[in-house]
Amino acid sequence: MIYKMLPAVEGEPQIYARIDDDGLCRLTCTEDYQEFKDWLAKGNTPEPADE
Amino acid sequence: MTVSINGTNGLVFNDGSSQATAATGFGFKNRIINGAMVIDQRNAGASVTPIAQQYLCDRWKFGLTAASKFTAQQNAGSVTPPAGFTNYLGVTSSSAYSVSSSDVFYLAQAIEGLNISDLAWGTANAATVTLSFWVRSSLTGTFGGSVGNNGTTNYPFSYTISSANTWEQKTITIVGPTSGTFATTSAAGILLSFSLGAGSTYSGTAGAWAISSFIVQPTGATSVVGTSGATFYITGVQLEKGSTATSFDYRPYGAELALCQRYYYKSIFAPISGYSPTTSRADGTVVFPVPMRDAPAALETTGTASDYGVYFQSGGVLCNSIPNIASPTTIHGGYVRFNCPVSFSIGQGCLMAPYTTGAYLAWSAEL
Repeated sequence: MIYKMLPAVEGEPQIYARIDDDGLCRLTCTEDYQEFKDWLAKGNTPEPADE
Repeated sequence: MTVSINGTNGLVFNDGSSQATAATGFGFKNRIINGAMVIDQRNAGASVTPIAQQYLCDRWKFGLTAASKFTAQQNAGSVTPPAGFTNYLGVTSSSAYSVSSSDVFYLAQAIEGLNISDLAWGTANAATVTLSFWVRSSLTGTFGGSVGNNGTTNYPFSYTISSANTWEQKTITIVGPTSGTFATTSAAGILLSFSLGAGSTYSGTAGAWAISSFIVQPTGATSVVGTSGATFYITGVQLEKGSTATSFDYRPYGAELALCQRYYYKSIFAPISGYSPTTSRADGTVVFPVPMRDAPAALETTGTASDYGVYFQSGGVLCNSIPNIASPTTIHGGYVRFNCPVSFSIGQGCLMAPYTTGAYLAWSAEL
């Protein structure tokens, strides 16, 4: 499972997509999402958004 | 009118009716939400192999340190629930797993601090509470659980299951702790846990408050995870103020659902009014049926973009990516964004909708 940035929208907080091991995204979140924060705390880094 | 009082029937009125127990808190006395396991928004009765902190029936989560050791399901095994109940939460051990000192498996519910503030736990005025529940297991012996603040103050309790595969009601009275910190805000105030197996790190002494890291059971409690195929079913969970267990606090289904929706709201196949702020996306708002505990920070979806679509002036179009959460999402409503491979007219009104029957949008503000 990884997190990936969604393309930024001006004036809005960054949104992240959680990509599960099967390649599907079943959850999007802000940086306040606890599981995302826990994932970052383990030293992970979200992938950049698609161009 | 004649009213008599006797030691057998309590208060007896002249119409023959009687009241045998004290009139303490007839309604909303249960601090546990969905104690009868009636609401299952996430899984709708389907079996799951839980991962750590995954929610099962609403408000009930599964704690674990090793994956794939259990399956869990509302009404697992399809046994007859205890009289007066129609549902229960069941877990089944998938293998015979010997716990290490640092392993732990449990079912738990975190109670919001706002709902336990009157108990005054952590003060000299700490109230006594009574936990009652119905339990059934394929195993017999001494089982365990705990009440605490999920961090520094814990009360492990034990109970005995005497007969295998038989529903038994258990009652445990707990004198409130006069020390420790129990949140009285919208954060977690009390964590109630039922152990399914734990090592020494998560075990302690039964029947006493301990200042320690999380403890889920008394030392030596039966390990459900240790027996392949072992079952553990539970329902009718009630935690109430006072030293006596009273009858289960049945609440109207709609009321119980609304209580659950403060923490998790799943909108299935429900359209949203929206508009197109750009040529390739539609934005809309979902108004939550009740204010949530906290502003949700995530939006759950099916994982398939084509489960969602937008209907606008020129017809309907499927999304080309999963709907995502957007800002501002608050305790009152969620802002959601659908992306589509078409060219909307900016400012155009539209209807954003799950396109397949089971498609949903779900928001969590769980503890």
